[in-house]
Amino acid sequence: MGGVNIRKSFLQELGPVRTISGLELLRVRYLGKKGILTAELKKLGGLPPEERRSAGALLNESKVFIETELAARRQELKELELREKFASQAIDVTLPGRYTRPGRTHPVIRVMREITGIFVAMGFSVEEGPEVELDYYNFEALNIPKEHPAREMQDTFYVSPDIVLRTHTSPVQVRVMQRKKPPVKFIAPGKVYRCDADISHTPMFHQIEGFMVADDITFSHLKAVLESFLHRIFSPDVPVRFRPSYFPFTEPSAEVDIGCIFCKGTGCRTCKGTGWIEILGSGMVHPHVLEMVGYDSRIYSGFAFGIGMERVAMLKYSIDDIRLFFENDLRFLGQF
Amino acid sequence: MRVPFGWLQEFINPGISVEKTAHLLTMSGLEVEALETDGEDVVLVINVTPNRADCLSILGIARELSVLTGAPLKLPAPPAGEAGPAGITVEIRNTELCRRYAGRVIRNARTGPGPEWMAKRLEACGLRPINNIVDVTNYVLLELGHPLHAFDLNTLKGGRIVVDTADKVYRKIKTLDGVERKLPAGALVIADAEGPVALAGIMGGASTEVEESTRDIFLEAAWFEPRNIRKTARALGLSTESSYRFERGADIGIIPLALERASLLIEDLAGGPGTVIRDGGVDVYPVKYAPPTIEVRTSRVNRILGAEIEEDEMLRILSRLGFAVNSSDGLIRTSPPSFRLDVEGEADVIEEVARIYGYDRIPAALPSSTLSADGAGSREDFIRLVGGAIRKSGYSEAVNYSFMNPRALENLSLSPNDLRRNAVVLLNPLKTEESLLRTTIVPSLIENLKHNRERGLKNIRLAETARVFIREREGELPREPLKLAGIAVQQKTHSFWRDAAEDFYLAKGAVEALLDELRIKDRHFTPSGEPFLHPGKSADLVAGGRKCGYVGVLSPAAAEKFEIREKEEITVFELDLDVLFDLLPPPTVYRPVPKFPYIERDIAIVVADGIKADDVIRYIKNYPSEFIEEAAVFDLYKGEKVPAGKKSMAFNIRYRAGDRTLTEDEIEVIHSGLVKDLLVHTGGSLRA
Ligand SMILES: [Zn+2]
Repeated sequence: MGGVNIRKSFLQELGPVRTISGLELLRVRYLGKKGILTAELKKLGGLPPEERRSAGALLNESKVFIETELAARRQELKELELREKFASQAIDVTLPGRYTRPGRTHPVIRVMREITGIFVAMGFSVEEGPEVELDYYNFEALNIPKEHPAREMQDTFYVSPDIVLRTHTSPVQVRVMQRKKPPVKFIAPGKVYRCDADISHTPMFHQIEGFMVADDITFSHLKAVLESFLHRIFSPDVPVRFRPSYFPFTEPSAEVDIGCIFCKGTGCRTCKGTGWIEILGSGMVHPHVLEMVGYDSRIYSGFAFGIGMERVAMLKYSIDDIRLFFENDLRFLGQF
Repeated sequence: MRVPFGWLQEFINPGISVEKTAHLLTMSGLEVEALETDGEDVVLVINVTPNRADCLSILGIARELSVLTGAPLKLPAPPAGEAGPAGITVEIRNTELCRRYAGRVIRNARTGPGPEWMAKRLEACGLRPINNIVDVTNYVLLELGHPLHAFDLNTLKGGRIVVDTADKVYRKIKTLDGVERKLPAGALVIADAEGPVALAGIMGGASTEVEESTRDIFLEAAWFEPRNIRKTARALGLSTESSYRFERGADIGIIPLALERASLLIEDLAGGPGTVIRDGGVDVYPVKYAPPTIEVRTSRVNRILGAEIEEDEMLRILSRLGFAVNSSDGLIRTSPPSFRLDVEGEADVIEEVARIYGYDRIPAALPSSTLSADGAGSREDFIRLVGGAIRKSGYSEAVNYSFMNPRALENLSLSPNDLRRNAVVLLNPLKTEESLLRTTIVPSLIENLKHNRERGLKNIRLAETARVFIREREGELPREPLKLAGIAVQQKTHSFWRDAAEDFYLAKGAVEALLDELRIKDRHFTPSGEPFLHPGKSADLVAGGRKCGYVGVLSPAAAEKFEIREKEEITVFELDLDVLFDLLPPPTVYRPVPKFPYIERDIAIVVADGIKADDVIRYIKNYPSEFIEEAAVFDLYKGEKVPAGKKSMAFNIRYRAGDRTLTEDEIEVIHSGLVKDLLVHTGGSLRA
């Protein structure tokens, strides 16, 4: 059999081979010690030298050819085998992964943490005070004596004639000043209570009190601190305005508005057509409040502000009913 | 305060639109909350803060607008000379509480319905028209801000008025609204020769009321001390247009003008000049208004505001506001007008200057002082860590009111001496179900669970971090420990990846994950005695040697009392975060990781049901061999392959030496000794 015929018959036999073992049998059949090609090579010795050279070359080519074909088919079969193995092991990768679905953060807590973070970055520390508070700290020490009309601004829950549920986080101002010498600079986040419940009021809500007293603090500082806070919590281009207001424990007092984030100032239902939304109350600490704790108001001055968390959360997330915050409906909580 | 723009324009022509007017007022401290259309007029709805009693009138708003725009104020003409004697004597027995009492007598008036135009204005301002006389007093109250009262002259006995506080003689009065009222101690009353005829500054008496038949009138205008009026009004639960103004501070100086204005209006509306006789008057004014002199350094104004306002500008602002001013060497001496009782000190004057100068003109500058920055503080960080850990275990953060239903204490079957029964009680709760402050968060979470269940949610995990309130001594503030509580329920059958673990272990796992996050290692769980938990599926957390919480399945009895209909087990836990905070370990001190390999042995033992895995592990860990590094349970079996009343538990024990590689032979000796002793200790046997 000549080299050409060997190749032809090899290719015919290779055609249907589909297993590695079949391939091995074929290799032995052609290239083994008693293989077809080996036998032909052995016959070369009996040929005249000039024929031997060309026949030898031809047979060697055939040998290389067969080896190459075998290697290629082997590779093919290996890949096929792997593919079949993978196919048999395949799983439905669209099924859900296994994990504990993490719980969500309550939007009010989320806002409170965010705001706390902003003020901590500005160098404020974090203080706490009791939620059940003495009338003295909640009112008297904040320049709101008994029989003061300002008490009407806040409907108060009473535990006894002298003990109330704090109506604001401002009593923390007094408690901290009693404990620390100036300068002081802190925020006090927490729950506050008002004896009031309707579509826009809940008997409990959250505030963050901000407070800074030193020997050089001005209304101008108050403006800058609150502006930079509001720009960070809402957006850097939201307009901010300060307008005179009244709180017994600050003087001058300022109500702070931001440009309505819904209508961009053109007027809508949320801003009652004014283009502005009231966001927090603030002012320069009243000298009486400083004097009550023994701070010399001729030397020290400072500012205070109070922010309602629910209000910020409602604006930030376009929530239209404050009562949603306290139902703890997972279809609501799951969105944050 | 509701201000019809048309009425306002009778006092000032601001020369600007109503919108611009609203903006100017808002930016100077009189927030215009709304502009309401009322027929052809527009009503400005103004939020007047409690300090600005002077702005509770059309005149007051006009006066403020005049300062802001420079437009002149048009005041009604003052009285033309003194009125003759009234034929009534006035005796003020308490000149501190009543510093001025004036009146006018008007005769031959025709009492009847007031004119349409006046009724419309009263209604636009939220008042109900009654008759022409009463309407005039209300009209002047709205217009000039000073409350007036009209008596039927002929019902006043003895031709005298006495102003005094309630005492043994003056004990009760029947007020205009027909209510017989007992006078609170210290209440100021107006009396005639026979007894009280009005609650001073709050409400008139029924016996002297102006009626259809009234012809002769005594018109009262007085000044009453704010705190006294407020105290009496509050004690009686009464608030009137009159008391509202007096308790905020009325203008003692406007009394003659108010009387004159009302007299002229009555003359006009109740018969006309010629018929109605404006008779004599009386004006007892024992304590003259003496304004405080307030000293303000101009440098101080700018120091507080962080502004550079010229002294001239400050003086100009104060003068326009009606303050008397003089200044020298940077010191301003100023006295507020009689309608600005709210201005008492330097800070008030600074505010006046800033308010009119314009807050928007004061520059904003961040403070340069770099104060001690304590950062958030470790407690704040701790609370965030807790929130993060509990969310990772699938619990969403809930926020509930701090209130508790008294029934919750019964539903939890708490024993009489349980501290959680010492709840703080509110004197004025909104409803009975919210009359206590929470001593435990669990009842709130149960309500949340029911809410979610009723809305079709099956798998619920909620946790809340909040203070609870434990009453200690009467008259003192309660303790406010910080708690973390959680509740969970899950529907087993529909979960995609089956989890065979008891719900209890899921809840306990959440607690353990939290403790791991906090690196609190000194902890174990013991069976719990909480009365509202399943006694066989609940445990107390003991950390640092103290009980600091519990976790368990809500007992069927408690579930029933809370009216939970579902059959699934509900797990709850509640932890004392203050205690856990105290147990936080100091920062880690690094130890080198082990250099030599460990050798493991597994052991399965069959023991009585009552033997706890924790006991076995503790026994192994305490076994006297320095090579026992770790022991953990990895299998639990109960069923046909072990005898009834017994269970099989499998443990993995890890041996290691710190200085060399242990040999199998070495371990074999220790391990077989341990197994032998463990079987004796537990009364168990090796599982075949
Ligand atoms: Zn808007």
